[in-house]
Amino acid sequence: MEGTSLSGKAVGQPIKRVDGVAKVTGRSRYAGDVDLPDMIFGRCLRSPYPSARIVSIDVKRAKALPGVHAVLTGADVPDTRYGRMCKDVPVLAKGVARFVGEKVAAVAADTVELAEAALELIDVEYAELPAVFSAEDAMGPTAPVIHSEAVEVFPGAAAGIHGELTMYPPIPNVISQLKVRHGDVASALAGAHKIFEHCFTVPSVHQGYIEPHTCLVSIGADGLVDVWIANKGPHIARAHMAAAIVVPENRIRFNPVVIGGDFGGKGSLMDTLLCYYLARAAHRPVKMVMNSFEELTAGNPRHSASISLRTGVDRDAKLLAIKARVVFNAGAYAGFVPVPTLHGGYGELAGAYRVPNCAIEVLRVYTNTVPCGHMRSPGAPQVAFAVESHIDMIAREMGLDPVEMRRRNAIAEGDLTPLGEKRRHLRCRETIEAGARAFGWDKPKPSGIGRGVSIYEHPPGNFGKSTIALTMGANGRITLMLGSPDTGTGFHTIAAQLVAEHFGVSVGEVDVVQGDTLSSGFEAGASGQRLTTTIGQAIAAAAEKMKQDLAALAAERLNCAPSDIRMGEDGAFSASGATIDKRSLMGWAAERGKAPLSCQGENTPGRPSDRTSFVAHFAEVAVDRETGQVRLQRIVTAHDVGTIVNPTMHQGQVEGGLIQAVGQAMSERIVLKEGAVITAHLGDYKLPTIMDIPELETVLLPGGGGVAPFSTTAIGEMSNVALPAAITNAVFDAVGVRLLELPISAEKVLERLSDKASAA
Amino acid sequence: MRRIKLTLNGTSISREVEDNRLLIEFLREDLKLTGTKDSCGVGVCGACTVLLDGKPISACLTLAVYADGCTVTTIEGVAEGDRLHPLQEAFLAHGGFQCGICTPGQILAAKALLDSNPHPTRADIQHWMMGNLCRCTGYYKIIESIAAAAEGD
Repeated sequence: MEGTSLSGKAVGQPIKRVDGVAKVTGRSRYAGDVDLPDMIFGRCLRSPYPSARIVSIDVKRAKALPGVHAVLTGADVPDTRYGRMCKDVPVLAKGVARFVGEKVAAVAADTVELAEAALELIDVEYAELPAVFSAEDAMGPTAPVIHSEAVEVFPGAAAGIHGELTMYPPIPNVISQLKVRHGDVASALAGAHKIFEHCFTVPSVHQGYIEPHTCLVSIGADGLVDVWIANKGPHIARAHMAAAIVVPENRIRFNPVVIGGDFGGKGSLMDTLLCYYLARAAHRPVKMVMNSFEELTAGNPRHSASISLRTGVDRDAKLLAIKARVVFNAGAYAGFVPVPTLHGGYGELAGAYRVPNCAIEVLRVYTNTVPCGHMRSPGAPQVAFAVESHIDMIAREMGLDPVEMRRRNAIAEGDLTPLGEKRRHLRCRETIEAGARAFGWDKPKPSGIGRGVSIYEHPPGNFGKSTIALTMGANGRITLMLGSPDTGTGFHTIAAQLVAEHFGVSVGEVDVVQGDTLSSGFEAGASGQRLTTTIGQAIAAAAEKMKQDLAALAAERLNCAPSDIRMGEDGAFSASGATIDKRSLMGWAAERGKAPLSCQGENTPGRPSDRTSFVAHFAEVAVDRETGQVRLQRIVTAHDVGTIVNPTMHQGQVEGGLIQAVGQAMSERIVLKEGAVITAHLGDYKLPTIMDIPELETVLLPGGGGVAPFSTTAIGEMSNVALPAAITNAVFDAVGVRLLELPISAEKVLERLSDKASAA
Repeated sequence: MRRIKLTLNGTSISREVEDNRLLIEFLREDLKLTGTKDSCGVGVCGACTVLLDGKPISACLTLAVYADGCTVTTIEGVAEGDRLHPLQEAFLAHGGFQCGICTPGQILAAKALLDSNPHPTRADIQHWMMGNLCRCTGYYKIIESIAAAAEGD
């Protein structure tokens, strides 16, 4: 597909979003905007204890409140547990509550206020149990065991995983243990010129989508279960729901709604099962919306992590071996993530570097804290912060410029990745060089100013099944039906551009329809920066079939062989001097009962992409020595990119991802006290505002590419991962303070500056 | 219960509301104007921004009775029929939104800015818009969109 010439009408153009007018006029329908006749509202009562036995629940007074239609406790719902990989999440706590915020009872009532008033009337008697909050403590021999019953694991757990994966190994509270080895670390470390060892910690952060988790369930008289939910993968979510409630998949319909931000956090069913049981008990449609307090205290935030790295280098500061241990605190349940371990916990451990010997251990551990889920590049930001700080520390110790350190160790054509995988078309060094040049890395800097760099590598997602359908109507317009929502990225517009490009028409001739889960074919949904790559291939397959069908029709119309038919740039067909445009051809076909034309396209990628992309970030900070305040002044971000389908949206991914990383670096942290989240509203949990953004320059290196048609690759998870280390590396450069923990705070910097002053 | 009269998106209306009814509930539930979005509930995120006598306010912190006798503009009242407001056009052309959940609030806050200061500097835009959170865009394209609308691009 490389070298494909483009029509200039679709791919590569800054096309306005196909869903744009609806969004800027407030007409887009999100799950919370769906209103059904007779709809009532569900709210739930949550445990105030991190670990407690539920001795008794008395719901009599709640049930007696006028306007209350259903009250449920753990005793009223089946024993089924839900999970995207590990099935450990109960619909409502049964006997035991395992974190502050766990649902123990629920009410459906005429209004939200009534439902909340009814919750106040539920009497729960708890008996507190010992609790454990840190992952290291939870692995100790005397730690309380958080899940004593066996947890069912989806049988495909090890698929696509490198190394040796053990689910629920014999270590207290460990969900998964992964060991990856490549080369011989012990010998390499024994022969190393120097060995460096550092430990890093990264707190949990929230995805920060502005639309809270919302679901609405309605059970029809015929038994059909209708669901409206802010979920990025409706087909998979439906399968999980069907298994949990024991209703056939084809009797559940997930209806398309616009999604108000995902960032990885909207892949689970969250309250949907509970909402279903409330709707069943009340015989009414029930809507549940998490408020922002619930989102921050009982959502499914990013895992906190501690990362230990031990690295050996030779005299030239070349990396010989890395030994790593990554411990993710998973919270009280594992069911919110679709994987056994976080891929970013090892895949990106040192993907941008040539490391001939590697030994990695990754653990996910239960604690009595809020269960964690996926967030944009799950596991990667935590590990990238550690690796990119560590590499910088080694460079400084070895007296080497941090850019030179990376240039020297960057993976290049012919190298294996640290996991021993072969990749091709590696442009890590070029990306570093381009960014350094634009940033002015070698230029002198004023005092109090620091500069830092970080790099990151990640391939486009080439996994999961995609099915789409193309229909060409009698008027020649093309409809693309797909099963994936647009989580906000603009993917529906990207898809329209890809379809238009295949037919040489403008995007205005393509309509994109997201079907419900009964009308659209299976789609694995938005995740791991896969959609452009995987749906792109399904679209190509369908377009190819449709072009053959069109050629056959045109041949019939023009009385020639299909092989004589040529499709022009404008989508018209010609053969030996005669030409017919698409619309006339389809009109002719319709009169003969041969239109509309429909073609399905399917894609089940066989293996991960062996093409990958690189990013290099450069940050400049000013540090106030009097207060410790760090001001992020400037970022240059350099990206190795393929064909850009839509430059406006591509840049939107770069910028949005970067500022999420700025949040992780500068202000965001879910703070726990005795297991309870105390940063419980957006006044305490500090998302970046428009005042917090630095001057930004983006450098793009075209000519890269992935396995997708038109040589496109992915951008969605490239900018949001490695930036925090560039900023902390810049802080070190400015004032000599090394931060091993995120986020940066003026207090920490000031304290370390004072320590240095008193030591000196 | 209390009867309130207001001019909503150019139309005079009169309704009975509970004294403790929030403006956001009045708009979304009573009037079914769901373009105004509800998110943080504590006046921090700006998603529920509407204009009250031309000034941006958080509908999640404002009682409906407070709008009695006032002019209220919601996102449904920004375009004139099918003709989009220059800010809406600019947000479309410059990628000023992604998921769109904060967009009604962003556009209304920006409208209040341009109505009072038609040629804001970049710093003016940042200062004015700091009460409207966006998790998707990183804000650059929001600034670009507002600046473009001000310049008539």
